Amino acid sequence: MFLMDSFEMQHRLSFYRPVWFFFVVAIVIQSANATDELNEEKFQQLHQSLQTSADEPWRQIPWEISLLNAQNSAAKSQKPIFIWAMDGHPLGCT
Amino acid sequence: MLDRESTFADAEIIKTLQTKFVSVAIDQAYQRRQKDTEGDFYRGIAKDSPRGDGSNGGTTQGLYIATPDGKYLGYTNHRSPERIKKFIAESLAKFKPTNVDSIKPEKIDRRYHPVLPKGGLVVRVQARVLDGYEPTDNKWQKIFQSSLSRDNLWLTNKEHESIVNGVIPAKVQRRVARFHLVDNTRGEPPMWRDDEIKSINMKLENGKLTGNASLSTRDGSRTFDCDFYGYVKTSDGMITRFDVIALGKFFGEGTYTKNAPKGKFPLGISFTLADGKDVADPIPPQASRGWLDGYLKN
Repeated sequence: MFLMDSFEMQHRLSFYRPVWFFFVVAIVIQSANATDELNEEKFQQLHQSLQTSADEPWRQIPWEISLLNAQNSAAKSQKPIFIWAMDGHPLGCT
Repeated sequence: MLDRESTFADAEIIKTLQTKFVSVAIDQAYQRRQKDTEGDFYRGIAKDSPRGDGSNGGTTQGLYIATPDGKYLGYTNHRSPERIKKFIAESLAKFKPTNVDSIKPEKIDRRYHPVLPKGGLVVRVQARVLDGYEPTDNKWQKIFQSSLSRDNLWLTNKEHESIVNGVIPAKVQRRVARFHLVDNTRGEPPMWRDDEIKSINMKLENGKLTGNASLSTRDGSRTFDCDFYGYVKTSDGMITRFDVIALGKFFGEGTYTKNAPKGKFPLGISFTLADGKDVADPIPPQASRGWLDGYLKN
């Protein structure tokens, strides 16, 4: 069995310190990239999750997006007009 | 957005609007300014509401109920479903069905009727803050924190052709950066100025789109650094698939997008070719409001 004395061990560790430091930094950087990287798997999952579902309740209302078209429909059906008026289009902005 | 997830998620309100009304959603920043038939019709209703017709330059946003010939019946700017139900019931009680003529658009203010350039494309843009919010029990804050925003990206025919030929034009890249790499999940966002684009690079190779972008205000109060990843497929000279993601770290907020997460937070933005099936597909991009030429110039 090979045994190093204390001095030799300290000498060897200090000799390898830059190598160990580089190795540890490389692992940290690699794992950080693995977390943030936009890869195929993450793309598929994220793209799917960033789509509006057809089942959203507000989409069950037959919205018009032209006020005059709404007036024409209301005149034909003799119904009142419900106007959702926002800053920025309520169906298409924000 | 808040209304989509609260007022218009209530089953009773949905049923009432489906059966007893013709419902219309508008960006009133157009109608209150339009010097045309539609603008006159809108202001004629709004003038009798507490908001007025917007001639003082202020917003007229809210919910209105009117007769088909444009007589004001009611207004509210509340979101609580119970308040909305009361508002609907009171307005309906004043309504008497009568024969009314359809109004023809005799005058059209072109500035406020932007039209997608012939041969152009609509790409749906949707964004969500993916993490970073403080936990909350407030139901309105919860809606904001999980909200999925919506907007449309417009491409011209020439840009469409260029992408089919494998090149994302610089103008398109800058338009995407300035007007669509924004956090619009809590309200109308500040867009980026041209000199706030530090870099943008979108590369298309064999149908795969990759790249990155870096944006920052001069004082660093708002920043976004992101990567792009996705697919653009073409067939017979047409784009048939445009599925792209921008994912990165956003920092900061705007006047109407307060309460962003503290520090840098992950923001995901999807770009998807519109198929014309969504009622929102014809809605012009938010950044083109009254300024389509300026929007397309970038």
